Amino acid sequence: MSLLTVKNLRVTFDTEAGRVEAVRGVSFDLGRERLGIVGESGSGKTMTGRSVLRLIRPPGKIEADEMTFDGIDLMRASETQMRALRGPRIAMVMQDPKYSLNPVMKVGAQLTEGLRQRDRLSKPEAYAKAIDALNAVQIRDPARVMEAYPHELSGGMGQRVMIAMMLIPNPDLLIADEPTSALDVTVQAEVLSILDNLVKTRGMGLIFISHDLRLVARFCDRVLVMYKGKVVEELAAKDLMQAKHPYTQGLLNCLPRIGGSRAPLPSLDRDASWAL
Amino acid sequence: MLIEIENLSVTFTAQGRQVRAVEGVSLNVKAQESFGLVGESGSGKSTILRAICGLAPISGGSIRINGKPITHDRAFSRQVQMVFQDPYASLHPRHTLDRTLSEPLAIHGLPVTDAAITKALTDVGLPPNFRFRYPHQLSGGQRQRVAIARALMLQPEILLLDEPTSALDASVQAETLNLLSRLRAERGLTFLMVSHDLAVIDHMCDRILVMQHGKAVEELSREALATAQMTTTYARSLFAASADRMLEG
Repeated sequence: MSLLTVKNLRVTFDTEAGRVEAVRGVSFDLGRERLGIVGESGSGKTMTGRSVLRLIRPPGKIEADEMTFDGIDLMRASETQMRALRGPRIAMVMQDPKYSLNPVMKVGAQLTEGLRQRDRLSKPEAYAKAIDALNAVQIRDPARVMEAYPHELSGGMGQRVMIAMMLIPNPDLLIADEPTSALDVTVQAEVLSILDNLVKTRGMGLIFISHDLRLVARFCDRVLVMYKGKVVEELAAKDLMQAKHPYTQGLLNCLPRIGGSRAPLPSLDRDASWAL
Repeated sequence: MLIEIENLSVTFTAQGRQVRAVEGVSLNVKAQESFGLVGESGSGKSTILRAICGLAPISGGSIRINGKPITHDRAFSRQVQMVFQDPYASLHPRHTLDRTLSEPLAIHGLPVTDAAITKALTDVGLPPNFRFRYPHQLSGGQRQRVAIARALMLQPEILLLDEPTSALDASVQAETLNLLSRLRAERGLTFLMVSHDLAVIDHMCDRILVMQHGKAVEELSREALATAQMTTTYARSLFAASADRMLEG
């Protein structure tokens, strides 16, 4: 059975300038696998991820024919039910650790806050769990990191702290929104292998949102390619290089390659019909 | 050699602690060459560009351009200009493009003419009617074009490019890289370019220097990069992590 089913998801914003449709009829099924959502900025990939958690503020509106997570109807769930899902069952890692961690709270306090408040653990128990979580994301000196403020950590460390924080309640579904785009290639590879390991060992479902096609092809099982709020192509990650849709092909072709020619890179000619 | 950097060190002092951002790096760039600096964040690659511009304190070594030690005066800014990473942060939000592009001319006492501004816009592929727009009315790629246009206003020989496309989408990155290549060919510019993306560096540069922890690790020609002939472990691991950016894809 699939973990998450989304049918005909629409996200609209009523603005002074008229209705803006950020997501226009996105449907997908997710099992315990790695699903990649790729697209350029403004394609609606982040909005799709946030809709699953119903984290879209007014004037934004979420509509869907169906949005079910593990038998729970996310469209009809009350705000209390949603709060119970966010974190323990469905977690989200945001793009930038600089803006997503509390700058005036020590990392340790942020990691244990949920455990103390929600699970009513004692201080030492919560501390031990947080240390375990930091170890799980391969932070070498967890005791020091617990006492540090976010600005004292590098980007890669901050990103790992956020992943650790999301993994403490052992969620069934992790939504990762550009979790590695602020990181260097070498650190990126580490963070991805941590995520990969967690999907394998914990049987977690993963939605991996990124603008980097090649990264998604290497890391995910299945890929949705979004353009202007719609899924233009869905394919197995290993077949990405044989993509059929001209948008996907265009995105792949305009990337420079090591050892490639110096000729001007092909530009992406957008066809008005793709957005229909 | 147009740019000669010898044994350059940059040290910042923060709260009584010394941070050595660049330690004893040497490199040479020929006229009309395109030279790339790669490495992870914190490796000191951007700091080298900033030191050339006088935005970072030089604590040792020397930088010479055309054989002369650099001085940060007007003559220098007519010769060397920089394009920054984030086009959202590097343009004044309350200045129209007209004002942004006229300012270098005004500072240097050059005539500010309609023709000069219009030409600057069309040279980077922007329509002349953008002239009185503000940065917030432009997309990221258009803003980076404005930043490039501004850097070219004084017709410098050397452009320092600090991750010029890393804030941009793939298709916009391609357009911006094509623009830079075209301008270099047309005007005989010399590029010193920083990027963490080996594929971008490979596409744009003739020679590259791999950096780690403020030190130079290895200098590679374009051919050596494409055929994976690096000799140090770090350069190799950087290359391995970028394997999905190879030609065969």
